[in-house]
Amino acid sequence: MRIFAGFALFVLWLVLSASYNILHMATGAVVASMVVWLSPTGAPHVRRFSWLAALMYVPWLIGRILKSGFHVSRLILDPALPIAPELVRHKTKLSSDGELVVLGNSITLTPGTITVEVAPGELIVHALDVASCEELKSGLFDDRVGRLFSVKGDKK
Amino acid sequence: MTWLAIFLIVLGLFFLVVGSIGMLRLPDVFSRAHALSLTDSLGAILVLAGLAVYEGFNMNFLRILVVLVLIYLLNPVISHATIRAAYRSGLRPTDKESR
Repeated sequence: MRIFAGFALFVLWLVLSASYNILHMATGAVVASMVVWLSPTGAPHVRRFSWLAALMYVPWLIGRILKSGFHVSRLILDPALPIAPELVRHKTKLSSDGELVVLGNSITLTPGTITVEVAPGELIVHALDVASCEELKSGLFDDRVGRLFSVKGDKK
Repeated sequence: MTWLAIFLIVLGLFFLVVGSIGMLRLPDVFSRAHALSLTDSLGAILVLAGLAVYEGFNMNFLRILVVLVLIYLLNPVISHATIRAAYRSGLRPTDKESR
């Protein structure tokens, strides 16, 4: 498994550097193996991840980002600056690391909401105005992210 | 194809400008981070996407795609880390009354 990780990193280096002489490729090999060597061992237990659901999730998220991007732009450009920032405690059913990472990153990527603190089952989110966190409160994000990780592969 | 690229890049520049204005106008570190997520997750991404469309399918297209994915993975981590550091060191957002 670690060999695969190292090989993937090396391929990434080749794509990004695009100079294929001995020196550059050797540097890439050394750096890739250093990263693999330094990263923690023992992969955590991952629940089954659905790539099909991820394929659906990404365009949906980009649409959300565009929509709230225009919303936040309007707030900023409004001469009156009609913002009402507040910290929101967001309860969620999700508790595994993978789910929390995806949920927290999605919230932060969406303009108007930022994840401040993460704990299993609860997130503290900073929202720029009331409309920004309404979709979050409705639990739509949680459902979508929950669909990425199916429960079937879950055995401790 | 060139017109699509121009459209994407101009839209991205719009978000970059609005994000910079927001950085100046918004009151505290928490709300300024929202302006940052505007510039990064829309501005930079749209400019890069425009460049990718302009390039067509070649090695540079692949490279821009990798940078796009990396920005989408790393940008929220960084702004979350910044905001959490601000929160833990005792900063609190200004609320509606004290603005």
